Amino acid sequence: MLNPTLITVIMAASLIGALAGVLGTFLVLRGQSLLGDVISHAALPGVVGGFLVSGGRGFAAILGGALISGALAGLVVQVLRRGAGVKPDAALGTVLSLFFAGGVVLLSVAQLQPGAAGLTVFLFGQAASVLRADLLPMAIVALFVLSCVALFWKEFQLIAFDREAAQAQGLPVVLLETVLTVLTAITIVLGLALAGVVLMVAMLIAPAVAARQWVRGLGAMVFLSAVIGIAAGAGGAFLSALGQGVATGPVMVLMASFLTALSLLLAPDRGVLARWVRQQNARKSLHGRQVLEALDGLSRDHQDPAYGSDQAMLDAYLGADARPVLARLQRDGLIRAQAPVAPEGKATRWELTDAGSQTLHAQEGQR
Amino acid sequence: MSALHEPQFACHVEDLTVSYRERPVLWDIDLDIPPGVMAAIVGPNGAGKSTLIKAVLGLVTPVAGHVRVFGLPVDQARRRIAYVPQRQSVDWDFPATVRDVVLMGLYGQIGWLRRPGRDALSRATRALEQVGMQDYAGRPISQLSGGQQQRAFIARALVQEADLLFLDEPMAGVDAVTEAAIVTLLKTQRDAGRTVVVVHHDLQTVSKYFDWLVMLNQRIIAQGPVKDVYTEANLRAAYGGQLALIGALETTSPDGENA
Repeated sequence: MLNPTLITVIMAASLIGALAGVLGTFLVLRGQSLLGDVISHAALPGVVGGFLVSGGRGFAAILGGALISGALAGLVVQVLRRGAGVKPDAALGTVLSLFFAGGVVLLSVAQLQPGAAGLTVFLFGQAASVLRADLLPMAIVALFVLSCVALFWKEFQLIAFDREAAQAQGLPVVLLETVLTVLTAITIVLGLALAGVVLMVAMLIAPAVAARQWVRGLGAMVFLSAVIGIAAGAGGAFLSALGQGVATGPVMVLMASFLTALSLLLAPDRGVLARWVRQQNARKSLHGRQVLEALDGLSRDHQDPAYGSDQAMLDAYLGADARPVLARLQRDGLIRAQAPVAPEGKATRWELTDAGSQTLHAQEGQR
Repeated sequence: MSALHEPQFACHVEDLTVSYRERPVLWDIDLDIPPGVMAAIVGPNGAGKSTLIKAVLGLVTPVAGHVRVFGLPVDQARRRIAYVPQRQSVDWDFPATVRDVVLMGLYGQIGWLRRPGRDALSRATRALEQVGMQDYAGRPISQLSGGQQQRAFIARALVQEADLLFLDEPMAGVDAVTEAAIVTLLKTQRDAGRTVVVVHHDLQTVSKYFDWLVMLNQRIIAQGPVKDVYTEANLRAAYGGQLALIGALETTSPDGENA
């Protein structure tokens, strides 16, 4: 089953997944996910343009074309924002659609040329379109991008966290941001043949979001994001290669999204499940304490340590049905039921036990 | 090396004008802060207090004017300046520990292609001790309270051992205990010969905390020692009708005695 083609595909997908995971972390932390989407959509006219100019699907021509049109899109965004005062998200959205539309039109024109049939793989990605000959240049470019990230690690960390502080320390922030954006663009363009222009950005965002759930530091986040990217990339490429004619991009993105959903749900501490459990526990302990406090307060108001509080009074005071909590407190031995004092009193009367009063005051002492 | 210009001042600002689009935010600012003072910049909302600091630091580009720090252009004096931005200006969900954030204060000094070493780590630990956060060094910053965030930011500035400190509203949204701790800390810095410049919002505490005062409302209203500047007339000029409380503040009366 593991034929050479499949191995090539899996290696390429792992490479792209790792790279996207690393650069995606910075993209997400800087709050620029949408910019990634713009770059990837805007690459389409460049890809087609590169094909038309060079007359073939060469690695360098496609890469160069995509980078040029991506840079052009970035420039148009800046002009719209600074020059025309368009809000950032509106500017990004407009430019994304504009360049993608241009790319699609150019694509239909290019289809008339011989040998252009393969260009449509750039829309949604096709693992089988990655050739063995592409692997080495891909690896070299990836190594270059990763080296840049390693070399400027602390600078990238600082501009991602606090741009102004970086500027105040005298770092060339605009230059660093440009370098980081160019590295991101290279990553995106590198992944286009596999993931496609429409979905490539998910390969940057999803692993980073998933990784954030599990870690405390940037180094760990970048590493884990790369691992998740590899899993999604390799897994997606493998699955799509099994099913004939299934576009690779969507399968890779589904894999990445699945891992992200798992992380959001299950991560300790930050996960939805962990938070829910914490909230439930807090609610329970809070309720228990509230009830103990109410009992304590009522007995103090009556200057009678053995005062029995009517359950209906407790319900009214707490604004909720106190029965489950009362049952739990009774089970824990913190309160006990009293015999009714008057014949018309139907509801149970409750008083604090010694253990209950100790628990209450121990908690008060902690605060 | 250019000749020093007004080196007797920790911070010298001349003819500084900043405008966003067509609207001037700061107009013709002339400002001199002598070394070794603890200075407050006060003024109503929108007076341009933060913008003034940012313009001095070169974070905002002025349309006119120049700035000198210890006689040097700011770009040549970066090592001598530390800056504490407003706490809300960053995303505290960033994956970093308190120690990581403090170390970031040294990134400009460490130089390209180098990682913070043992020396940087021990400086970070000392800075954390100064703000009483040494026990939080390994804690993720997402778990800090507002006051702890502020102290972590101040530690990031202290680690630079700069001669001139700018702080943007360090006392905003922290509790009274933290505020007192921050003031004590800053006074210690001042007593060690450093110059501390704080954007401050609470007029009640100005004369208690500071010895130098700059009143700002797009223009400089007044500047100088607190006892000379903190007068009813200046407050009215800076805050206009916005301040119903002026009568209740303990200002300096025209003959120089506290009213």
